[in-house]
Amino acid sequence: MATTPRSGGSGSGAAQRPNGTSQNKSCQFKLVLLGESAVGKSSLVLRFVKGQFHEYQESTIGAAFLTQTICIEDTVVKFEIWDTAGQERYHSLAPMYYRGAQAAIVVYDIQNQDSFQRAKTWVKELHKQASPNIVIALAGNKADLSNIRVVEFDEAKQYAEENGLLFMETSAKTGMNVNDIFLAIAKKLPKNDNNQGSVIKPNGNEPTQTTNNCCK
Amino acid sequence: MATGTGTTETRRLCAITFFAKLHPGDVCGSNGLPLTPNSIAILGRSQRLKELQHEHLCQYLDVVRSKHERTIVVSEYVGCTLEEHVKRQTSTSPAQMLCIFQQVASGLDVLHGHKLVVHNLEPRHILVESRAGAVHVKLFNYGMHYMTKGGAYVPFPIGNIRYMAPERLLGANDNIKSDIWAWAMLLLEQLLQTELWPKLKLSNIAWKLLAFARNANTGGVVEKIAREHQRWDRYQQLPLPVRELLERCLSVLPAQRPLPAELLQHACFAALGDHSQANVAKSSPSPSLPLPLLLRCPLAQIYHLWQLAGGDVQAELKKEGLIRSEAPILSLPQIVRLSGASVCPPRSQSHLMDERVVLLKLQPLLQRLSRLPASVYFPLLHTQRLQPQQQQQQQQLQQQQQQQELPLLIRERDIEYQFRRVRLFTRLLLGYPHTAEQLQREAAIDIPPLLRGPIWAALLGVLPNASYAKIDKFTATSTDRQIEVDIPRCHQYDELLSSPDGHRKLKRLLKAWVTAHPQYVYWQGLDSLTAPFLYLNFNNEELAFLSLYRFIPKYLQWFFLKDNSAIIKEYLSKFSQLSAFHEPLLAQHLASINFIPELFAIPWFLTMFSHVFPLHKILHLWDKLMLGDSSYPLFIGVAILKQLKSTLLSSGFNECILLFSDLPDIVMESCVIESQKMYECTPKSITHRQHALRSQPAHVLDIGLADVELRHLQAEQCPRISAKDVHQLLMQQPEQLALIDLRSVVEYGRVHVPHSINIPFATVQLGEQRLEALQVPQLEAQLRQRIVVCVSNIHQHAVEFSHFLVACGVLRTCILHKGFNVLHSIEPNILISN
Repeated sequence: MATTPRSGGSGSGAAQRPNGTSQNKSCQFKLVLLGESAVGKSSLVLRFVKGQFHEYQESTIGAAFLTQTICIEDTVVKFEIWDTAGQERYHSLAPMYYRGAQAAIVVYDIQNQDSFQRAKTWVKELHKQASPNIVIALAGNKADLSNIRVVEFDEAKQYAEENGLLFMETSAKTGMNVNDIFLAIAKKLPKNDNNQGSVIKPNGNEPTQTTNNCCK
Repeated sequence: MATGTGTTETRRLCAITFFAKLHPGDVCGSNGLPLTPNSIAILGRSQRLKELQHEHLCQYLDVVRSKHERTIVVSEYVGCTLEEHVKRQTSTSPAQMLCIFQQVASGLDVLHGHKLVVHNLEPRHILVESRAGAVHVKLFNYGMHYMTKGGAYVPFPIGNIRYMAPERLLGANDNIKSDIWAWAMLLLEQLLQTELWPKLKLSNIAWKLLAFARNANTGGVVEKIAREHQRWDRYQQLPLPVRELLERCLSVLPAQRPLPAELLQHACFAALGDHSQANVAKSSPSPSLPLPLLLRCPLAQIYHLWQLAGGDVQAELKKEGLIRSEAPILSLPQIVRLSGASVCPPRSQSHLMDERVVLLKLQPLLQRLSRLPASVYFPLLHTQRLQPQQQQQQQQLQQQQQQQELPLLIRERDIEYQFRRVRLFTRLLLGYPHTAEQLQREAAIDIPPLLRGPIWAALLGVLPNASYAKIDKFTATSTDRQIEVDIPRCHQYDELLSSPDGHRKLKRLLKAWVTAHPQYVYWQGLDSLTAPFLYLNFNNEELAFLSLYRFIPKYLQWFFLKDNSAIIKEYLSKFSQLSAFHEPLLAQHLASINFIPELFAIPWFLTMFSHVFPLHKILHLWDKLMLGDSSYPLFIGVAILKQLKSTLLSSGFNECILLFSDLPDIVMESCVIESQKMYECTPKSITHRQHALRSQPAHVLDIGLADVELRHLQAEQCPRISAKDVHQLLMQQPEQLALIDLRSVVEYGRVHVPHSINIPFATVQLGEQRLEALQVPQLEAQLRQRIVVCVSNIHQHAVEFSHFLVACGVLRTCILHKGFNVLHSIEPNILISN
């Protein structure tokens, strides 16, 4: 169970370094995106992973998976990103994705008050159900439309501070703060070698739960 | 046929083109999305016009978008314009003229019935055809006002000011009475035998019309016009009813003008009506030249064939100089301000409205199809088509069969083949539902794209009953927000679905479906599922709705329950079992890396692949799906895995999931063929699901409704087979079956199925995952190409043994449901003893 090709993946990352001094550490983190539908979760991931933006990004059903590797100082950080469906009905699938995640981005749309409220409930749920060390970031997306905003920057910032969340307003469309929010998360994550090759599957990755197929 | 040449001119296709208004720069709507191009909005609106079929209206056939908001409209064209008609005839009597205008009024009446207005009625848009002494009139280009939303989408005004009612100059649109004014102006012009204000500038004409409006109370518009043109005497000579009618129609106040229906009732047409009809009736039995058979087909079919024959509207327009290309450098802005506004050189003449009509040549198409016999045009459904003695027919049949073996994409582009198919299906659809069976058989060969919408509906057993109209699609509900955010993301690369009309229609369909199913809720994905039906039946929402209405219970029974987890889990477990059944090694690998269907296959099945593939692929996939039962989609899933097998086998979890997050190019045709093969060679009970829709009660030897619970499905890698299916295989295809009897030698000796292989479970070591380890001579050969049924009286033994077989890569392993003892109840007895 525990042997996954992931350790091989990080090995090749080390081989790419020119001088061969593999002082560099490499870590992998499972990150999950949560939030109301149509707030731009998939668009944020697409911007971060592929640098693209699609005006008519399709809705996500179930969940989508993407990876992206970044370097911070001397550490290669690989994000394994689960982009989940926003519709409330798909809620029952969410634990399968956030359980065992080391990081989460809870996204809302700055033009939509309801999506901000929904973000708050996600944060509560994560605090209750997810791993206690999870790093949570709050992203107020669609910042390019700030002239018609409904959720004030200060309000969200205050909420984030009170709850120990990273906070940024982002725009997947312009790219504003998109890489930054992922970088900020990466910086906050503990980068000890334990993370290397940890089981980062959506299900059954915590030792206590390996027998339990959690989507069942 | 030689006769063709003379008469083709009677029924023609033509194209006109114009530019839609360009949105300035990089503008976004309030939702942050770019504004929909006006040409797309026009495309969406114009679809409705295609449905208008009437003897006095030229049929609309197509609207095509091209670069820079160019819009091309393809429509029917007959005879010549009223202008040309008058010039050709040495004299047209007032009675003849009235006959023409009666038909124009009749066209207006039909449009009024559809709540449409014309607003560009002028001599060029009245087409007159003389056939055997009678004149036949059709309105042309009457949809311009509607398709451009009253001119909002185009940079030019709609309508000829000469015939424009005064209220339109004041900005009042959408009143059919304005068309009545235009109608009367045209008639007056013809009856006075003059041209209205030939030398006046447009602005002066406008002033004149506005002057009429100012002096509304004094009346006498007709008199003023007649006197102005020195035709007062001639006017006085007209019959009184005609004058009375003209004066009423040219009332300044729209309310005083008659409606088209009232117009048609008018006394001056009364005598005429019978006359013209009699004339037509008399002449029709002896037409001078027979119409080529092709031209008796519906115009939409002719246009479709014209395209298949290589017809290209844009090329035709280019040939006529209507589309001219220019060096792009000429249109570069000279100054760009910091605000983003730019100063461009004046747009060249080629961007201006050009009202020319380009006729599309049908001659090559007629020649192409001339050698087809009449029986192809009007295929007979209920007679023996093949007479053995008729060699020619036999040859034809052979040729057809050869054609059917060609790849689908070639068949879809083969004009003769499509022609045959379209004609055949046209007849089958006319005979539906009585032809349902034959339709099913023919659809199994392939489905002609032109008729796909109605064919699917027929395959799904849809019988329109006007129920759609009664469903509430407007009351606000709690799902509205979700539907509204999903629609602008649903297959938006498609022009129709991205048009405002497409959005409205999709919303109505989704709301109607939710209202019609109080037990169900809207799940994201229902939008994708609805899209193909809307795309195919854009002008027939009811058919789209009913198709969806029948499609969901057939393939997605209970999937849209508020809590659908039990259904989805069962479905995905069955999918895993079927993967193990047809692709044991692959399934084994995927299970070993924890690559479970929950992570990738929910959108596949919940939307029947409509969320993962583009429309053109979905259409071909569903063509076959429609013919299968509720288990068919599972085989499509397995076929996709199979197609990606080598990549999947060599990949770990991440690579696999990445592959499916961004589903690579699946070759749809081979996927369809593969799924069909598997579907056909899999006994029905293998796909048993508790939550599938059942039409008949289960047989005693079937797997009972609640026999297999989810926990069984999840614990067992191999599917169960019913005694009924085993019995059937044993009787009909014993060479397809390998029965492994896991009971002890003693029990086997007492009673067993003939030709079954006895491998006592107690004696085998399953530790080593090789068939040879069982030490049964030639076991592999005995199992190859067969359905391998593990039979035991202790269910767990069968389960464990089946897992062993899967690990060894044995194909099509399954477990006999209820174990060996169930075989005793088969009558007549099939068991033997040593």
